Amino acid sequence: MTALLPPGFASLEPFASDWAGESAAMRAGIRDHAGGEELKAFYDAVQPLVGTALASLDARPLAEQDEREVRLMRLLLTFAHVAMAVEVQREDEQVHARLRRHLSILHAPADARPRRREVGGR
Amino acid sequence: MKTGSAVFRGVPQEQLDWLGTEPIPARPYYDPSYFELEREAVFRRSWLQIGHVCELPERGSFIRREVEVLGASVLIVRGRDAEIRAFHNVCTHRGTELVSAESGRQSTFSCPYHRWTFGTEGALISAPDFDQFHVAKADCGLPVIALEVCAGLIFVNFAEQPQPLRAWLGDLAERLEALPLARATTFSEYVYEIEANWKLTFDNFQENYHLRFIHTRSSGAGTGPSNPFGYPVNYGFHGPHRTQTIWSNPAPPAPPPTLALAYGQATKSLRQKGVPIAEGAKDYLVLFPNLFILGSPVQNFSQMVMPISATRSRSIIRIYWVGEDDSASERFAREYLMAALRDVHAEDRNVIVAGQKGLSSGALKHIHFQTQEVLCRHLYKTVDAMVVAYRAEIRGAEVAA
Repeated sequence: MTALLPPGFASLEPFASDWAGESAAMRAGIRDHAGGEELKAFYDAVQPLVGTALASLDARPLAEQDEREVRLMRLLLTFAHVAMAVEVQREDEQVHARLRRHLSILHAPADARPRRREVGGR
Repeated sequence: MKTGSAVFRGVPQEQLDWLGTEPIPARPYYDPSYFELEREAVFRRSWLQIGHVCELPERGSFIRREVEVLGASVLIVRGRDAEIRAFHNVCTHRGTELVSAESGRQSTFSCPYHRWTFGTEGALISAPDFDQFHVAKADCGLPVIALEVCAGLIFVNFAEQPQPLRAWLGDLAERLEALPLARATTFSEYVYEIEANWKLTFDNFQENYHLRFIHTRSSGAGTGPSNPFGYPVNYGFHGPHRTQTIWSNPAPPAPPPTLALAYGQATKSLRQKGVPIAEGAKDYLVLFPNLFILGSPVQNFSQMVMPISATRSRSIIRIYWVGEDDSASERFAREYLMAALRDVHAEDRNVIVAGQKGLSSGALKHIHFQTQEVLCRHLYKTVDAMVVAYRAEIRGAEVAA
Protein backbone atom coordinates (compact mmCIF):
# COMPACT_ATOMS: atom_id res chain seq x y z
CA MET A 1 0.00 0.00 0.00
CA THR A 2 1.31 3.48 -0.86
CA ALA A 3 2.20 5.52 2.20
CA LEU A 4 0.14 8.69 2.69
CA LEU A 5 2.71 10.25 5.02
CA PRO A 6 6.48 10.86 4.76
CA PRO A 7 8.85 8.07 5.92
CA GLY A 8 9.17 7.80 9.69
CA PHE A 9 5.51 8.39 10.43
CA ALA A 10 4.05 4.97 9.63
CA SER A 11 2.38 4.84 13.03
CA LEU A 12 0.17 7.76 11.99
CA GLU A 13 -0.99 6.16 8.71
CA PRO A 14 -4.31 4.97 10.22
CA PHE A 15 -5.22 8.65 10.79
CA ALA A 16 -3.85 10.04 7.53
CA SER A 17 -7.03 10.01 5.46
CA ASP A 18 -9.63 11.12 8.02
CA TRP A 19 -7.79 13.45 10.39
CA ALA A 20 -5.88 15.71 7.98
CA GLY A 21 -8.49 18.49 7.71
CA GLU A 22 -7.96 20.82 4.77
CA SER A 23 -9.03 24.03 6.50
CA ALA A 24 -8.96 25.28 10.07
CA ALA A 25 -12.78 25.09 10.15
CA MET A 26 -12.65 21.45 9.00
CA ARG A 27 -9.99 20.61 11.57
CA ALA A 28 -12.06 22.17 14.36
CA GLY A 29 -15.01 20.13 13.03
CA ILE A 30 -13.00 16.90 13.22
CA ARG A 31 -12.38 17.61 16.90
CA ASP A 32 -16.04 18.52 17.49
CA HIS A 33 -17.39 15.34 15.94
CA ALA A 34 -14.95 12.82 17.41
CA GLY A 35 -15.83 10.83 20.50
CA GLY A 36 -13.68 10.92 23.62
CA GLU A 37 -11.93 7.64 22.86
CA GLU A 38 -11.18 8.62 19.27
CA LEU A 39 -9.69 11.92 20.43
CA LYS A 40 -7.54 10.12 22.97
CA ALA A 41 -6.32 7.53 20.44
CA PHE A 42 -5.36 10.28 17.98
CA TYR A 43 -3.70 12.34 20.70
CA ASP A 44 -1.72 9.38 22.04
CA ALA A 45 -0.49 8.49 18.57
CA VAL A 46 0.53 12.01 17.51
CA GLN A 47 1.73 13.58 20.76
CA PRO A 48 5.08 11.71 21.06
CA LEU A 49 5.89 12.59 17.41
CA VAL A 50 4.94 16.28 17.33
CA GLY A 51 8.47 17.56 17.97
CA THR A 52 10.06 15.23 15.41
CA ALA A 53 7.38 15.90 12.82
CA LEU A 54 7.63 19.70 13.12
CA ALA A 55 11.43 19.53 12.98
CA SER A 56 11.31 17.43 9.82
CA LEU A 57 8.77 19.75 8.16
CA ASP A 58 10.70 22.84 9.23
CA ALA A 59 13.58 21.66 7.05
CA ARG A 60 11.70 22.74 3.93
CA PRO A 61 9.75 25.91 3.01
CA LEU A 62 5.99 25.40 3.33
CA ALA A 63 5.42 26.26 -0.32
CA GLU A 64 7.66 23.37 -1.38
CA GLN A 65 5.93 20.65 0.64
CA ASP A 66 4.94 17.57 -1.33
CA GLU A 67 1.57 15.89 -0.95
CA ARG A 68 2.67 13.66 1.92
CA GLU A 69 4.26 16.52 3.81
CA VAL A 70 1.12 18.63 3.35
CA ARG A 71 -0.89 15.76 4.82
CA LEU A 72 1.46 15.44 7.80
CA MET A 73 1.25 19.20 8.34
CA ARG A 74 -2.53 19.02 8.36
CA LEU A 75 -2.50 16.11 10.81
CA LEU A 76 -0.38 18.24 13.14
CA LEU A 77 -2.76 21.17 12.74
CA THR A 78 -5.70 18.91 13.66
CA PHE A 79 -3.62 17.85 16.64
CA ALA A 80 -3.51 21.50 17.75
CA HIS A 81 -7.31 21.37 18.13
CA VAL A 82 -7.39 17.89 19.62
CA ALA A 83 -4.77 18.88 22.22
CA MET A 84 -7.25 21.45 23.57
CA ALA A 85 -9.77 18.65 24.03
CA VAL A 86 -7.43 16.19 25.72
CA GLU A 87 -5.17 18.51 27.70
CA VAL A 88 -7.58 21.29 28.67
CA GLN A 89 -11.27 20.39 28.39
CA ARG A 90 -10.82 16.72 29.32
CA GLU A 91 -14.13 15.26 30.60
CA ASP A 92 -15.94 18.50 29.70
CA GLU A 93 -15.05 18.14 26.02
CA GLN A 94 -18.40 16.81 24.76
CA VAL A 95 -20.32 19.58 26.55
CA HIS A 96 -17.81 22.16 25.36
CA ALA A 97 -18.22 21.02 21.74
CA ARG A 98 -21.85 22.21 21.89
CA LEU A 99 -20.69 25.68 22.96
CA ARG A 100 -18.09 25.89 20.20
CA ARG A 101 -20.45 25.11 17.33
CA HIS A 102 -21.63 28.74 17.26
CA LEU A 103 -18.11 30.05 16.57
CA SER A 104 -17.32 29.77 12.86
CA ILE A 105 -13.70 29.95 11.78
CA LEU A 106 -13.61 32.08 8.63
CA HIS A 107 -9.93 32.73 8.14
CA ALA A 108 -6.63 31.16 9.13
CA PRO A 109 -3.18 31.66 7.64
CA ALA A 110 -2.81 27.90 7.17
CA ASP A 111 -5.82 27.71 4.85
CA ALA A 112 -4.73 27.30 1.28
CA ARG A 113 -7.76 29.20 0.05
CA PRO A 114 -9.30 31.26 2.79
CA ARG A 115 -13.08 30.88 2.75
CA ARG A 116 -13.81 34.58 2.69
CA ARG A 117 -11.49 35.51 -0.10
CA GLU A 118 -13.61 34.53 -3.10
CA VAL A 119 -13.19 36.83 -6.10
CA GLY A 120 -16.57 38.11 -7.19
CA GLY A 121 -15.84 38.94 -10.82
CA ARG A 122 -13.50 40.80 -13.09
CA MET B 1 7.34 34.93 51.65
CA LYS B 2 7.15 34.21 47.94
CA THR B 3 5.89 36.98 45.67
CA GLY B 4 3.28 34.58 44.36
CA SER B 5 1.46 34.46 47.67
CA ALA B 6 1.58 38.22 48.35
CA VAL B 7 -1.93 39.60 48.58
CA PHE B 8 -2.92 41.41 45.42
CA ARG B 9 -4.62 44.74 45.95
CA GLY B 10 -7.03 45.75 43.24
CA VAL B 11 -7.60 49.34 42.17
CA PRO B 12 -9.31 51.05 45.18
CA GLN B 13 -12.83 52.45 44.80
CA GLU B 14 -11.67 55.97 45.78
CA GLN B 15 -9.86 56.27 42.46
CA LEU B 16 -13.08 55.42 40.65
CA ASP B 17 -15.60 57.37 42.70
CA TRP B 18 -15.98 59.93 39.91
CA LEU B 19 -17.91 57.32 37.93
CA GLY B 20 -20.43 56.80 40.75
CA THR B 21 -21.54 53.63 42.47
CA GLU B 22 -25.26 53.73 41.80
CA PRO B 23 -27.16 50.83 40.22
CA ILE B 24 -27.48 50.98 36.42
CA PRO B 25 -30.88 50.89 34.67
CA ALA B 26 -31.53 47.52 33.01
CA ARG B 27 -33.70 48.83 30.18
CA PRO B 28 -30.85 50.12 27.93
CA TYR B 29 -29.67 46.50 27.68
CA TYR B 30 -32.85 45.25 25.96
CA ASP B 31 -35.19 48.10 25.03
CA PRO B 32 -35.60 48.55 21.24
CA SER B 33 -36.42 52.27 21.63
CA TYR B 34 -33.11 52.86 23.46
CA PHE B 35 -31.33 50.93 20.73
CA GLU B 36 -32.91 53.20 18.09
CA LEU B 37 -31.37 56.20 19.87
CA GLU B 38 -27.98 54.46 20.12
CA ARG B 39 -27.89 54.00 16.36
CA GLU B 40 -27.83 57.75 15.82
CA ALA B 41 -26.29 58.99 19.07
CA VAL B 42 -23.42 56.50 19.19
CA PHE B 43 -22.84 54.59 15.99
CA ARG B 44 -23.45 57.30 13.42
CA ARG B 45 -21.07 59.63 15.29
CA SER B 46 -18.17 57.35 16.22
CA TRP B 47 -15.23 55.98 14.33
CA LEU B 48 -15.98 52.27 13.77
CA GLN B 49 -13.26 49.74 13.04
CA ILE B 50 -14.19 47.82 9.94
CA GLY B 51 -11.11 46.06 8.62
CA HIS B 52 -7.33 45.93 8.37
CA VAL B 53 -5.07 47.18 5.60
CA CYS B 54 -3.67 43.66 5.09
CA GLU B 55 -7.03 42.74 3.56
CA LEU B 56 -6.40 45.20 0.73
CA PRO B 57 -2.90 44.28 -0.44
CA GLU B 58 -3.17 45.50 -4.05
CA ARG B 59 -4.72 48.20 -6.18
CA GLY B 60 -8.29 47.09 -6.84
CA SER B 61 -8.49 44.91 -3.70
CA PHE B 62 -11.84 45.36 -2.02
CA ILE B 63 -13.89 44.16 0.93
CA ARG B 64 -17.60 44.53 1.55
CA ARG B 65 -18.76 44.95 5.16
CA GLU B 66 -22.29 45.09 6.51
CA VAL B 67 -22.88 47.66 9.26
CA GLU B 68 -26.29 46.48 10.38
CA VAL B 69 -26.64 49.03 13.16
CA LEU B 70 -26.78 51.75 10.50
CA GLY B 71 -28.47 49.61 7.84
CA ALA B 72 -25.46 50.18 5.63
CA SER B 73 -23.37 48.07 3.31
CA VAL B 74 -19.86 49.45 2.91
CA LEU B 75 -17.49 48.89 0.01
CA ILE B 76 -13.84 49.49 0.90
CA VAL B 77 -11.46 49.65 -2.03
CA ARG B 78 -7.79 50.29 -2.63
CA GLY B 79 -7.88 52.58 -5.63
CA ARG B 80 -5.57 52.75 -8.66
CA ASP B 81 -3.79 55.52 -6.77
CA ALA B 82 -3.18 53.05 -3.85
CA GLU B 83 -5.44 55.08 -1.50
CA ILE B 84 -8.02 53.17 0.54
CA ARG B 85 -11.56 54.62 0.40
CA ALA B 86 -14.98 53.66 1.71
CA PHE B 87 -18.21 54.03 -0.23
CA HIS B 88 -21.80 53.17 0.37
CA ASN B 89 -22.27 49.95 -1.60
CA VAL B 90 -25.10 51.40 -3.67
CA CYS B 91 -25.38 52.17 -7.34
CA THR B 92 -26.13 55.89 -7.75
CA HIS B 93 -28.67 55.15 -10.50
CA ARG B 94 -31.46 53.68 -8.36
CA GLY B 95 -29.79 52.39 -5.22
CA THR B 96 -29.15 48.76 -6.09
CA GLU B 97 -26.49 46.92 -4.07
CA LEU B 98 -23.41 47.25 -6.23
CA VAL B 99 -21.14 44.46 -5.00
CA SER B 100 -22.33 41.17 -3.52
CA ALA B 101 -18.93 39.44 -3.15
CA GLU B 102 -17.41 39.68 0.30
CA SER B 103 -13.97 40.50 -1.03
CA GLY B 104 -11.78 40.24 -4.10
CA ARG B 105 -9.86 42.29 -6.61
CA GLN B 106 -11.44 44.17 -9.51
CA SER B 107 -10.59 47.14 -11.69
CA THR B 108 -14.23 48.25 -11.98
CA PHE B 109 -17.56 47.58 -10.25
CA SER B 110 -20.65 47.08 -12.39
CA CYS B 111 -24.19 47.26 -11.11
CA PRO B 112 -26.04 44.06 -12.01
CA TYR B 113 -29.27 45.96 -12.75
CA HIS B 114 -28.40 48.37 -15.62
CA ARG B 115 -24.61 48.01 -15.82
CA TRP B 116 -23.59 51.37 -14.44
CA THR B 117 -19.85 50.89 -13.98
CA PHE B 118 -17.69 52.57 -11.34
CA GLY B 119 -13.91 52.82 -10.99
CA THR B 120 -11.90 51.87 -7.91
CA GLU B 121 -11.86 55.52 -6.86
CA GLY B 122 -15.65 55.74 -6.92
CA ALA B 123 -16.26 57.68 -10.14
CA LEU B 124 -18.97 56.62 -12.58
CA ILE B 125 -17.01 55.49 -15.65
CA SER B 126 -19.76 54.35 -17.95
CA ALA B 127 -23.50 53.79 -18.08
CA PRO B 128 -25.46 52.40 -21.05
CA ASP B 129 -27.37 55.00 -23.04
CA PHE B 130 -26.35 57.70 -20.58
CA ASP B 131 -27.49 60.49 -22.93
CA GLN B 132 -31.05 59.70 -21.92
CA PHE B 133 -30.31 60.82 -18.35
CA HIS B 134 -30.63 64.36 -17.05
CA VAL B 135 -27.51 64.40 -14.87
CA ALA B 136 -23.72 64.61 -15.37
CA LYS B 137 -21.52 61.55 -14.80
CA ALA B 138 -19.35 63.66 -12.50
CA ASP B 139 -22.32 63.98 -10.15
CA CYS B 140 -22.91 60.22 -10.02
CA GLY B 141 -19.86 59.01 -8.09
CA LEU B 142 -20.36 56.48 -5.28
CA PRO B 143 -21.34 58.14 -1.98
CA VAL B 144 -18.20 58.47 0.14
CA ILE B 145 -17.92 57.47 3.80
CA ALA B 146 -15.10 59.00 5.88
CA LEU B 147 -12.23 56.50 6.25
CA GLU B 148 -8.97 56.73 8.16
CA VAL B 149 -6.30 54.24 9.17
CA CYS B 150 -4.41 53.93 12.44
CA ALA B 151 -2.02 51.08 13.26
CA GLY B 152 -3.19 49.18 10.18
CA LEU B 153 -6.78 49.23 11.44
CA ILE B 154 -9.31 50.72 9.03
CA PHE B 155 -11.97 52.92 10.63
CA VAL B 156 -15.05 54.49 9.03
CA ASN B 157 -17.27 57.27 10.30
CA PHE B 158 -20.77 57.92 8.95
CA ALA B 159 -20.97 61.49 10.24
CA GLU B 160 -20.95 64.29 7.65
CA GLN B 161 -17.83 65.97 9.05
CA PRO B 162 -16.26 63.77 11.71
CA GLN B 163 -13.34 64.88 13.83
CA PRO B 164 -10.04 63.36 12.61
CA LEU B 165 -9.47 59.76 13.75
CA ARG B 166 -6.30 60.71 15.64
CA ALA B 167 -8.15 63.35 17.66
CA TRP B 168 -10.81 60.72 18.43
CA LEU B 169 -8.23 58.15 19.56
CA GLY B 170 -6.15 60.65 21.52
CA ASP B 171 -3.12 59.14 23.26
CA LEU B 172 -4.26 55.61 22.40
CA ALA B 173 -3.19 56.09 18.77
CA GLU B 174 0.46 55.83 19.70
CA ARG B 175 -0.13 52.76 21.86
CA LEU B 176 -1.97 51.08 19.01
CA GLU B 177 0.89 51.76 16.66
CA ALA B 178 3.32 49.94 18.96
CA LEU B 179 1.26 46.72 18.78
CA PRO B 180 2.03 43.84 16.42
CA LEU B 181 -1.28 44.39 14.63
CA ALA B 182 0.13 47.62 13.22
CA ARG B 183 2.54 45.41 11.24
CA ALA B 184 0.18 42.49 10.63
CA THR B 185 0.05 40.90 7.21
CA THR B 186 -2.51 38.20 7.97
CA PHE B 187 -4.87 37.04 10.70
CA SER B 188 -7.01 34.23 12.03
CA GLU B 189 -10.70 35.02 12.37
CA TYR B 190 -13.77 33.46 13.89
CA VAL B 191 -17.22 34.89 14.23
CA TYR B 192 -20.34 34.24 16.23
CA GLU B 193 -23.83 35.66 16.33
CA ILE B 194 -25.42 36.01 19.70
CA GLU B 195 -28.91 36.72 21.00
CA ALA B 196 -27.69 39.54 23.21
CA ASN B 197 -27.44 43.31 23.37
CA TRP B 198 -24.11 44.70 22.18
CA LYS B 199 -23.27 46.30 25.54
CA LEU B 200 -24.09 43.16 27.48
CA THR B 201 -21.92 41.17 25.09
CA PHE B 202 -19.09 43.67 25.26
CA ASP B 203 -19.24 43.93 29.07
CA ASN B 204 -18.35 40.27 29.42
CA PHE B 205 -14.91 41.16 28.08
CA GLN B 206 -14.51 44.20 30.30
CA GLU B 207 -14.50 42.39 33.64
CA ASN B 208 -12.51 39.49 35.05
CA TYR B 209 -14.90 38.74 37.91
CA HIS B 210 -16.38 35.83 35.89
CA LEU B 211 -13.10 34.15 34.90
CA ARG B 212 -12.82 31.58 37.65
CA PHE B 213 -16.47 30.51 37.31
CA ILE B 214 -16.92 30.40 33.53
CA HIS B 215 -13.41 29.48 32.40
CA THR B 216 -12.75 26.82 34.99
CA ARG B 217 -10.42 24.88 32.71
CA SER B 218 -9.29 27.46 30.19
CA SER B 219 -8.50 30.48 32.37
CA GLY B 220 -4.96 29.20 33.02
CA ALA B 221 -2.70 31.85 34.50
CA GLY B 222 -5.45 34.51 34.51
CA THR B 223 -6.25 33.93 38.18
CA GLY B 224 -4.14 32.77 41.14
CA PRO B 225 -4.22 32.38 44.92
CA SER B 226 -3.14 35.98 45.53
CA ASN B 227 -5.69 37.36 43.04
CA PRO B 228 -8.46 34.73 42.85
CA PHE B 229 -10.62 36.83 40.51
CA GLY B 230 -7.75 37.91 38.28
CA TYR B 231 -8.58 41.60 38.73
CA PRO B 232 -6.48 44.00 36.66
CA VAL B 233 -3.53 46.00 37.94
CA ASN B 234 -4.89 49.37 36.83
CA TYR B 235 -7.54 51.16 34.80
CA GLY B 236 -7.21 54.10 32.47
CA PHE B 237 -9.89 56.39 31.05
CA HIS B 238 -9.31 58.27 27.82
CA GLY B 239 -12.44 60.20 26.85
CA PRO B 240 -14.92 57.59 25.62
CA HIS B 241 -12.19 54.93 25.49
CA ARG B 242 -10.77 52.94 28.41
CA THR B 243 -7.87 50.64 29.22
CA GLN B 244 -6.72 48.16 31.80
CA THR B 245 -3.50 46.35 32.50
CA ILE B 246 -4.00 42.62 32.93
CA TRP B 247 -2.52 41.04 36.03
CA SER B 248 0.25 38.47 35.64
CA ASN B 249 0.25 35.53 37.97
CA PRO B 250 3.80 35.51 39.41
CA ALA B 251 3.56 31.76 40.04
CA PRO B 252 1.41 30.44 37.20
CA PRO B 253 0.39 26.78 37.04
CA ALA B 254 2.37 24.64 34.60
CA PRO B 255 0.84 25.19 31.14
CA PRO B 256 -0.55 22.20 29.20
CA PRO B 257 2.31 20.69 27.12
CA THR B 258 0.98 21.74 23.71
CA LEU B 259 0.34 25.30 24.91
CA ALA B 260 3.94 25.45 26.12
CA LEU B 261 5.13 24.18 22.72
CA ALA B 262 2.98 26.62 20.72
CA TYR B 263 3.77 29.58 22.94
CA GLY B 264 7.50 28.86 22.76
CA GLN B 265 7.40 28.60 18.99
CA ALA B 266 5.30 31.75 18.59
CA THR B 267 7.74 33.67 20.80
CA LYS B 268 10.69 32.41 18.76
CA SER B 269 8.98 33.52 15.53
CA LEU B 270 8.33 37.00 16.93
CA ARG B 271 12.01 37.33 17.88
CA GLN B 272 13.06 36.27 14.39
CA LYS B 273 10.74 38.90 12.94
CA GLY B 274 12.00 41.58 15.30
CA VAL B 275 8.64 42.10 17.05
CA PRO B 276 9.09 43.35 20.64
CA ILE B 277 7.90 40.64 23.05
CA ALA B 278 7.28 42.53 26.28
CA GLU B 279 5.96 45.90 25.13
CA GLY B 280 2.27 46.36 25.86
CA ALA B 281 1.89 42.65 26.49
CA LYS B 282 -0.64 43.14 29.28
CA ASP B 283 -2.41 46.12 27.78
CA TYR B 284 -6.08 45.88 27.12
CA LEU B 285 -7.39 48.77 25.03
CA VAL B 286 -11.06 49.51 24.47
CA LEU B 287 -11.84 51.79 21.56
CA PHE B 288 -15.31 53.22 21.93
CA PRO B 289 -17.85 52.06 21.05
CA ASN B 290 -17.35 48.39 20.20
CA LEU B 291 -13.75 47.23 19.77
CA PHE B 292 -11.18 45.95 22.21
CA ILE B 293 -7.64 44.80 21.67
CA LEU B 294 -5.42 42.67 23.87
CA GLY B 295 -1.82 43.71 23.41
CA SER B 296 -0.20 40.30 23.96
CA PRO B 297 2.30 39.97 21.08
CA VAL B 298 1.96 36.18 21.03
CA GLN B 299 -1.82 36.38 20.70
CA ASN B 300 -2.50 39.98 19.66
CA PHE B 301 -6.24 39.89 19.16
CA SER B 302 -9.18 42.17 18.69
CA GLN B 303 -12.86 41.64 19.24
CA MET B 304 -15.50 43.78 17.61
CA VAL B 305 -19.13 43.55 18.63
CA MET B 306 -21.49 44.66 15.87
CA PRO B 307 -25.02 45.44 17.06
CA ILE B 308 -27.77 43.96 14.88
CA SER B 309 -30.82 44.72 17.02
CA ALA B 310 -31.49 45.57 20.67
CA THR B 311 -30.97 41.92 21.56
CA ARG B 312 -28.81 40.53 18.76
CA SER B 313 -25.14 41.11 17.94
CA ARG B 314 -22.22 39.66 16.04
CA SER B 315 -18.76 39.18 17.51
CA ILE B 316 -15.74 39.13 15.24
CA ILE B 317 -12.50 37.94 16.78
CA ARG B 318 -9.22 38.35 14.96
CA ILE B 319 -5.75 37.31 15.98
CA TYR B 320 -3.27 39.36 14.00
CA TRP B 321 0.01 37.88 12.76
CA VAL B 322 3.15 39.58 11.53
CA GLY B 323 4.35 37.94 8.31
CA GLU B 324 3.09 34.84 6.56
CA ASP B 325 3.70 31.40 8.09
CA ASP B 326 7.45 30.98 7.69
CA SER B 327 7.72 27.42 8.92
CA ALA B 328 5.67 24.38 9.90
CA SER B 329 6.29 25.21 13.55
CA GLU B 330 5.01 28.75 13.17
CA ARG B 331 1.93 27.51 11.31
CA PHE B 332 1.29 24.98 14.07
CA ALA B 333 1.65 27.61 16.80
CA ARG B 334 -0.81 29.97 15.11
CA GLU B 335 -3.40 27.22 14.65
CA TYR B 336 -3.09 26.22 18.30
CA LEU B 337 -3.29 29.79 19.63
CA MET B 338 -6.49 30.36 17.64
CA ALA B 339 -8.04 27.08 18.84
CA ALA B 340 -7.17 27.95 22.45
CA LEU B 341 -8.72 31.42 22.29
CA ARG B 342 -11.83 30.08 20.55
CA ASP B 343 -12.36 27.63 23.40
CA VAL B 344 -12.44 30.51 25.88
CA HIS B 345 -14.85 32.58 23.77
CA ALA B 346 -17.21 29.63 23.33
CA GLU B 347 -17.61 29.56 27.12
CA ASP B 348 -18.39 33.29 27.23
CA ARG B 349 -21.08 33.17 24.56
CA ASN B 350 -23.30 30.79 26.48
CA VAL B 351 -23.38 32.82 29.66
CA ILE B 352 -24.01 36.12 27.86
CA VAL B 353 -27.10 34.59 26.20
CA ALA B 354 -28.34 33.53 29.64
CA GLY B 355 -27.87 37.11 30.87
CA GLN B 356 -29.88 38.53 27.99
CA LYS B 357 -32.74 36.14 28.63
CA GLY B 358 -33.08 37.42 32.18
CA LEU B 359 -32.77 41.09 31.23
CA SER B 360 -35.22 40.85 28.33
CA SER B 361 -37.86 39.47 30.69
CA GLY B 362 -38.06 42.92 32.26
CA ALA B 363 -37.81 41.38 35.72
CA LEU B 364 -35.05 43.78 36.78
CA LYS B 365 -35.23 47.55 37.02
CA HIS B 366 -31.50 47.78 37.68
CA ILE B 367 -28.27 45.85 37.39
CA HIS B 368 -25.19 46.25 39.58
CA PHE B 369 -21.53 46.80 38.78
CA GLN B 370 -18.94 46.35 41.50
CA THR B 371 -15.69 48.34 41.77
CA GLN B 372 -13.83 45.90 39.52
CA GLU B 373 -16.55 46.08 36.86
CA VAL B 374 -15.86 49.76 36.41
CA LEU B 375 -15.15 49.45 32.70
CA CYS B 376 -18.73 48.21 32.19
CA ARG B 377 -19.96 51.22 34.18
CA HIS B 378 -17.84 53.54 32.04
CA LEU B 379 -19.28 52.10 28.82
CA TYR B 380 -22.86 52.56 30.02
CA LYS B 381 -22.20 56.08 31.28
CA THR B 382 -20.51 57.12 28.05
CA VAL B 383 -23.31 55.70 25.89
CA ASP B 384 -26.03 57.17 28.08
CA ALA B 385 -24.50 60.64 28.05
CA MET B 386 -24.51 60.51 24.24
CA VAL B 387 -28.10 59.25 24.16
CA VAL B 388 -29.24 61.98 26.57
CA ALA B 389 -27.49 64.66 24.49
CA TYR B 390 -29.01 63.28 21.30
CA ARG B 391 -32.51 63.25 22.83
CA ALA B 392 -32.08 66.91 23.79
CA GLU B 393 -30.84 67.66 20.29
CA ILE B 394 -33.89 66.14 18.58
CA ARG B 395 -36.24 67.80 21.08
CA GLY B 396 -34.54 71.12 20.34
CA ALA B 397 -34.94 70.53 16.62
CA GLU B 398 -38.64 69.71 17.09
CA VAL B 399 -39.21 72.88 19.12
CA ALA B 400 -37.40 74.96 16.51
CA ALA B 401 -39.57 73.42 13.80
